[in-house]
Amino acid sequence: MIEVEHLTKRYGAFTAIEDVSFSVPKGHVLGFIGPNGAGKTTTMRVLTGFLPATEGRAVVAGFDVFEDPVEVKRRVGYLPETPPLYRELTVGEYLRFCAELRDLPRADRLRRVGEVMERVGLRGWERRVLGTLSKGYRQRVGLAQALLHNPPVLILDEPTSGLDPAQNVGVRELIAGLAGDHTIILSTHILPEVEALCAQVVLINKGKIAASGTMEAVRAQAAPAYYRVSLHAAGVEPAAVARAVGALAEVKVVQPDGEALRVESEPGVDPRPAIASMAVGRGWGVSGLERTIPTLEEAFLSIVGREGA
Amino acid sequence: MTATFAILKRELLTYFVSPLAYVFLGVFLFLAGVFFYLGIALTGEASLRVMMGNVSISLMFVLPMLTMRHFAEEQKTGTFEMLMTSPVSPVAILVGKWLASLTLCLLMLLGTGLFVAILAYYGEPDWGVIATSYLGLFLTCGVFCAGGLFASSLTDDQVAAGMGGIVLLMPLWLVGSASSLVGEEWQARLDHLALLPHLRSFTKGVIDTADLSYFALLTFGFLFLTFRTLESRRWR
Repeated sequence: MIEVEHLTKRYGAFTAIEDVSFSVPKGHVLGFIGPNGAGKTTTMRVLTGFLPATEGRAVVAGFDVFEDPVEVKRRVGYLPETPPLYRELTVGEYLRFCAELRDLPRADRLRRVGEVMERVGLRGWERRVLGTLSKGYRQRVGLAQALLHNPPVLILDEPTSGLDPAQNVGVRELIAGLAGDHTIILSTHILPEVEALCAQVVLINKGKIAASGTMEAVRAQAAPAYYRVSLHAAGVEPAAVARAVGALAEVKVVQPDGEALRVESEPGVDPRPAIASMAVGRGWGVSGLERTIPTLEEAFLSIVGREGA
Repeated sequence: MTATFAILKRELLTYFVSPLAYVFLGVFLFLAGVFFYLGIALTGEASLRVMMGNVSISLMFVLPMLTMRHFAEEQKTGTFEMLMTSPVSPVAILVGKWLASLTLCLLMLLGTGLFVAILAYYGEPDWGVIATSYLGLFLTCGVFCAGGLFASSLTDDQVAAGMGGIVLLMPLWLVGSASSLVGEEWQARLDHLALLPHLRSFTKGVIDTADLSYFALLTFGFLFLTFRTLESRRWR
């Protein structure tokens, strides 16, 4: 549904994004993560046809963004980072304006406005002036605007920024409900949100893709899985236990991790059977052999580094 | 077409839900009233000739203040991004905004109908001349609105857009004032460039294609420059 190939955008000497490629199959939700200024918004602006790219190609909903921008714009709903609201209008006036701008058939306009207001939880808010709304409600109006023409593709730039936890859950449920019918690109800083919603992740850092693929793959790519090993050896020094584990061929690194040991191995090698049989052979007790996959947060930090955090 | 109309409607709504339209109508009608009174008191004619000339110059300062927010504010608040990601051409956006400011001009000119009524009550004005005068003034509004929009498209700061618009339009007036300083040969040339001599034909009751082309050329020129600026903003 969305194909991005070798996209590069330069502003004069400054390269905002460089050689960005990814694709999103129909009905999937792609999480777009990265530190501030990494190029998330630029990429989204290119995909919506707002900015032209310097190099590369992007196909959205079957149309080339640079050759058929109008066809792409018809099929994309876009929520920019700041909801694009006219402060002096009411919610109803604004959404009716958007419906006209989107050239929805006259007969459908009011019905669609009613439907999206219902969907984003704005029922009864029609006469409220946009400038007086709280951030959460502005965000909802922005989402309503993006959904009006029932677009197959949704591009949402930080849809939950500035929301309180309850509203956050609301928006998350809304997005989960939209997946399937809509192909969604979602940028956010809130990593648990990505873990909850997105099957696929693109991590962008300093304009380049640092990791991409399924959630599992990105986590593994960032920081390999490790094992927490808890052994009980009466009368043996913890350091000696660690040495014994480290002597196994399958084990690469051993570090003490509280009461337990943190064990790393070569990718694709599971050291647990070897550790278990070694422990049993020496008459040690085994109370834990867990594989731990790093969280997305750990992956993020290991790739981006902590200077931006 | 739908989009142009939608934008026109939205802009008018914005004018009238804020104090903007009322302030403009009030200020403009006050200025026009002063010039109307002075014109009658100084010449004793039942005509709008003096008022028209002075009103056109005040419009040069007033209209950029009206148009300054059109693009500058949209750039600043981010609504421009929504417009440009809708399946709408920049031309439709531009024309919608231009027509909106022109609609307000039309209301401002309609307001001066009161002065025409006073003329008709106390004297015998030449209706043909009044009609051509209004046409001339309306065409002038078209030029000033287009120039103001161009200034607004150049920046996301409203005040800069307003001042820029005035500075952009002033040469059209100054060139005429300065023309008497430069000798006869150049005077004629500069008078062709200046706005007031062209407006003067209308206020005398003359509709000349040369004058019509002058206004049309300036209006389309400014609108075209605005269009190019909107297109190029995306590249920067």
